[in-house]
Amino acid sequence: MEISYRIHHPIALELNLTVQGFTVLLGMSGVGKSTLLKALAGLLPAEGQPFAGLPPERRRVGYLPQSFALFPHLSALGNVAFPLAHLPPQKRRVKAREYLELMGISHLAERYPRALSGGQQQRVALARALAREPQLLLLDEPTSALDMATREEVFSEVLERLRRLGIPTLAASHDVWLAQRADWVGVLSRSGLEQQGPPAQVFTHPATLETARLVGFRNLFEARVLEVQDGFLYLETPAGVLKAQGRAWPVGQPVWLGIRSEDVGFEGLENRVAGVLTALQAQGGGGWAHFSGPLELDLLLSRQTQDRLGLEEGQAVEVVLDPRYLHVIPGSP
Amino acid sequence: MNDPIFWQTLKLTLEVCVVSTIVLLLFGIPLAWILVHKRFWGKRVVESLVLLPLTLPPTVLGFYLLLFLGQNGPMAKYLHIEWAFRFEGLVIGSVLFSLPFALTAYRETFLALEPDLIATARTLGASLPRVWREVILPLCWPGILSGTILAFAHTLGEFGVVLMVGGSIPGKTRVVSIYIYDQVQALRFDRAAQASAILLIISFALVYSVRSLEDRLKPRKGAT
Repeated sequence: MEISYRIHHPIALELNLTVQGFTVLLGMSGVGKSTLLKALAGLLPAEGQPFAGLPPERRRVGYLPQSFALFPHLSALGNVAFPLAHLPPQKRRVKAREYLELMGISHLAERYPRALSGGQQQRVALARALAREPQLLLLDEPTSALDMATREEVFSEVLERLRRLGIPTLAASHDVWLAQRADWVGVLSRSGLEQQGPPAQVFTHPATLETARLVGFRNLFEARVLEVQDGFLYLETPAGVLKAQGRAWPVGQPVWLGIRSEDVGFEGLENRVAGVLTALQAQGGGGWAHFSGPLELDLLLSRQTQDRLGLEEGQAVEVVLDPRYLHVIPGSP
Repeated sequence: MNDPIFWQTLKLTLEVCVVSTIVLLLFGIPLAWILVHKRFWGKRVVESLVLLPLTLPPTVLGFYLLLFLGQNGPMAKYLHIEWAFRFEGLVIGSVLFSLPFALTAYRETFLALEPDLIATARTLGASLPRVWREVILPLCWPGILSGTILAFAHTLGEFGVVLMVGGSIPGKTRVVSIYIYDQVQALRFDRAAQASAILLIISFALVYSVRSLEDRLKPRKGAT
């Protein structure tokens, strides 16, 4: 589904976005993700396609706000039956039960929202939205109201069910974990849609600095193109000349060089940079380190690497920025 | 209580209360909703005006109403309606006097209602009237009812405004509170005591029911 919307208030926003399967609109808070969802649901005035100009009750859209907005005075079944008002009472209950079944929670039918966990509330809200038979599902920050500890497990199953139903879904989120599991990702910043594509592409080849930061590039530094040869770029950086893969940028072009924390290594002949490990901390199963030299770098180390190299704080090391993982982003001239 | 005049007075008082309360409901609910959800020029002026009866001496409010509704007032001049010293005048005075109580309660209850609920209900295919019927009223009725009862009880006990606008005409505009005053003036302390006791019991029952309703409201609020 192609979305083309223009919003003036409360945030000025104009964008064209493809929604393909489970699509995540990634962006910091305040860039207008929720505003776009509300506009699509008809809750804010906007121009564009689809659903242009229709009041919310006439749009075939399933909208889930961050809080899920279950009606506290109705049971789970009552909530799901709410959009089925056009059916006779008996049929309405049967149908509502089917939608609960679809989300795997028919055993919670008689429960009231206050007696449900965050994840269960989300499923009731989804069942209710599905009962509307939507052409498009809109989820506002679907992982933010879930328990951090069980978030991945809880939402993975929901995602699985949504995929099977095949309804185009647009989720607004700042959650990188969620975006990695999407079929399609759009990146929204204050200046508009920065980039869209399959997550593999957006995450490894961010087109702009803003996107790079958003998808988790912790190490970004300025450089300039010196030479282009055999499909490789040679770049002038504070750490001398570094080699990177990438399209042929014009010589002299200022660029940003980015490398993910987990891609900074210690083995290899090219792009060796000498410096000191100024900090080393255990972090979950591995470790986090800070490298100080001509470049300041964040590193994520597996425990294995850490043990094998016997790394310690204050130690002089040479890190390797593998040309395959060094990503080039155009900078402003 | 063996004074037939008292029972007549009580009947009139309750009639004023019932009619004023109905007017307050019809007028106060939309007004409270607008004040909570809409922005418009001069909103603060409106908010201050409707709260004014809380601080204004009732005699002042009554005095202006008398000028407005009386023989030479604008209502008589332009609409040929003269409501001073009549039942209608009592109702208007009572409505204005009790409006802040009702309005504050209605506003509180509407403010406590999560806006997402209304927005989501619309996206689920419900028209605005249905949203009112099936979402707003079922969630807000304890607050609306408690505000309404409070306004009713407040109307029951008013004195200054009705005295100014109504003038204590027996059987026509004399309400219980004024009846008690008149009995004391006439040194009929036994009648004043009995009438006071009846008013006390009614008022206590009303306030007690408001408190019970507030307790009912609270667990609901905590739910979402």
